Amino acid sequence: MGLLTGLRDSLSRVTDRLFSEQEPKRIGIYGPPNAGKTTLANRIARDWTGDAVGAESHIPHETRRARRKEDVEIERDGKTVSIDIVDTPGVTTKVDYEEFTDEMDKDDAVRRSREATEGVAEAMHWLREDVDGVIYVLDSAEDPITQVNTMLIGIIESRDLPVLIFANKIDLEESSVKRIEDAFPQHETVPLSAKEGENMDEVYEQIAEYFG
Amino acid sequence: MPHQCTNCGRRFPDGSKEMLSGCPDCGGNRFQFTPDADGEEADAGTEGDSGATGEGADTGADDPAGDEAVGEKSGTVSRAAATVRDWMSESGAGKPDPNDGADAEPDRPTETEAAETDDRDPFAEWPETARPPEDRSEEADDAESANADREVEADWPDPPGEDSAQADARRTVVGPDELPEDAESATPPDDRTEDRPDHGRVVSEPEDDDQPSVDELRNELNEQFESIKIVEPGQYELNLMELYDREEHIVSLQEDGRYVIDVPDSWVDADE
Repeated sequence: MGLLTGLRDSLSRVTDRLFSEQEPKRIGIYGPPNAGKTTLANRIARDWTGDAVGAESHIPHETRRARRKEDVEIERDGKTVSIDIVDTPGVTTKVDYEEFTDEMDKDDAVRRSREATEGVAEAMHWLREDVDGVIYVLDSAEDPITQVNTMLIGIIESRDLPVLIFANKIDLEESSVKRIEDAFPQHETVPLSAKEGENMDEVYEQIAEYFG
Repeated sequence: MPHQCTNCGRRFPDGSKEMLSGCPDCGGNRFQFTPDADGEEADAGTEGDSGATGEGADTGADDPAGDEAVGEKSGTVSRAAATVRDWMSESGAGKPDPNDGADAEPDRPTETEAAETDDRDPFAEWPETARPPEDRSEEADDAESANADREVEADWPDPPGEDSAQADARRTVVGPDELPEDAESATPPDDRTEDRPDHGRVVSEPEDDDQPSVDELRNELNEQFESIKIVEPGQYELNLMELYDREEHIVSLQEDGRYVIDVPDSWVDADE
């Protein structure tokens, strides 16, 4: 009985994926810590559902568990795109509690560090198992050519996932969208400021086009 | 009898479906996997209690240079998978509190304490050691190293490098009654002291404080779970490719290097 139920479930999952245009695409928002992923997720969720996804902070690794906002419907040119937004912890190769000790005591910093590490493991797991497309968010005021960015975009490419690169924080003086475009010329780069809401029209157009 | 309920002791044959929804007798969802090769010794260790001294000694010794070591190696891979699977059944649906384990049992039993806790839960130590059996095969290959581990076990918090059968047998052998003086001197019987290596991979020495053992344990775990390296508590290095490539999912880290992981549904579904 268990076998039959399991079989039926997996068959229906497969047919859903094959035949259902309406099935929301699960879009993972990935990127290094403090690139503005949660700010972007909140901006999108607020614009289209009125709710937020999670807390934002200037301290890295505020998001330590993947958070999902389901069935976000984005309308563009009369077309409706339904996506699930998955806000993920910032991906990094090193987590050090000393980054946080200015902001909190050592115990909290150590705990934050451990949770952040678990969060990265979780984010990498979702990328493998549970994501239909990726919005890769970068801080345009930072150098985009890092080991993490190169590796993650490489993984995303190897999975043939549709990916949009968001050059966030264009409101900052040091911002350079071109640096990001040059670093990843094979992908569409969309400049924006999630915090200030700049260029969000293009953001939604591109989301509708890439993930619709 | 590869699987045994750690609660009521009920046994299940390999591949049994009965245990998939918990132990039919007591509802427990913690199972101990005991490879066939070690099955009998494990039985002796758990059921015989202190009476099984002789048999236990054999298991505890597990002559690293002998045939038994080779046998153990061959079963390592399947045992590793099964152990992880069994292990996961205990984490169930929720994300376990990293401190759960600490409440459930003495965190770092000394030799004597471990022996005393036998009556309550002979397998209590196993799920917490978080040391996949792969590494044991290396040790089995390396007689000196295995011996070295045994030499320092008395001072090890959670002796790695042994499965529950070995652990039980060892604890049974070096029970509190039989300790010549105190727990510190819980060295193997004299007839094996001549095997003690004067060189090789001696992972730690008991005369130091506990810190080196913990560091060493952490290092060993890092080698196995190379996806996350614990530099020190609160400092981690992550191997993103490894994390991405892993089928199972690490949901919780603990400072002594232990992990709680979640395995994919397919591992469970495959048995259904």
